[in-house]
Amino acid sequence: MSGDDGVFIRPPTDIRNKVSVGGPGSVDQAALARAEKVILDMAGSFVDMVHEDVANLHKELEALKSNGGDAATLDNIYRMTHDIKGQGGSFKYDLITTISRQLCNFIEELKGNVKPADIEVIALHVDALQVVIAQDLKGDGGDVGSNLLSGLEKVIAKRSSGQD
Amino acid sequence: MDADPKKSYNLERINFLIVDDNKHMRALVKTILHALGSKSVHEAADGAEAFKELRHFPADIIICDWNMQPLDGLDFVKLVRTGSDSPNPYVPIIMLTGHTEMTKVMEARDSGVHEFLAKPISAKSLYSRIRSIIERPREFVRTKTYFGPDRRRQQIDYRGPERRKNAQKKVVDAAEAEPSEGGEGGELSQAEVEALMNG
Repeated sequence: MSGDDGVFIRPPTDIRNKVSVGGPGSVDQAALARAEKVILDMAGSFVDMVHEDVANLHKELEALKSNGGDAATLDNIYRMTHDIKGQGGSFKYDLITTISRQLCNFIEELKGNVKPADIEVIALHVDALQVVIAQDLKGDGGDVGSNLLSGLEKVIAKRSSGQD
Repeated sequence: MDADPKKSYNLERINFLIVDDNKHMRALVKTILHALGSKSVHEAADGAEAFKELRHFPADIIICDWNMQPLDGLDFVKLVRTGSDSPNPYVPIIMLTGHTEMTKVMEARDSGVHEFLAKPISAKSLYSRIRSIIERPREFVRTKTYFGPDRRRQQIDYRGPERRKNAQKKVVDAAEAEPSEGGEGGELSQAEVEALMNG
């Protein structure tokens, strides 16, 4: 247990001395609602922002195809996808997060052992992300989103069962 | 124990430092903080830049992403906590990450973060972590292998009378605390940061 044998130290500053409670400017429910609205406003330009990230992801995918599954390239793809995953839901593009999470999980399961069929699975996920951006599919993407996810899940299930 | 939902704090005087190599996420966090009334929000694109920023910016709360290159969030936290030239070893840190596995959370906790915020983030979730830091100030602990906020999350009251019941527990002010001897706590100097950056 931390501290059982250690020294306990009072930090030199107390943040409570810098905050007041209530009154004008305090963070009440209305302020939180306004902040969420600001996020929604920002989400309007998210597709433009993430477009470059997905384009870079596509470049890494092309490199992976060329080098036959290099570990460093795969690691780059994982890191970039993980980054996109975190952004999607934050900007209210949940489908981007769902697809990215699925791709991250798939890459984790590979444990560095990449076969050509695996690269195809990765490519299909990157393509799906590009579809979401091209069609500006917000939230869960509705029927188009469901179809995309369903297709990707089938591809992964097929690959997991050993069928190419 | 949840933070008191009735408390609405004015964050105007709190200095925030956002550390994230993703400019979109930096912009999002900054926008949320401004919308919540914060006036003083600085940004850094990686751990090394943030460490430099801390030398002249007295951050009250750091919001730090985990996945960054070349110096990642955990390395940055360790540097802030135990670096021999750290400007502010006691600053509260919120770790922002897409990793939500328990092992990852434990890893973040053991590096010395105060709060863990999983992506996707929202104004509500970010404010909730800020509120926790305000409402639950924590003592720091220095052992042979750890320096950081007390991981037991015990609430303390700096401003009240000393209320320790455990006579065995020694609590000192930061100015009295001996500096880390280094080594076991993962102490990193600026030179070591540069070495990490350069691979």
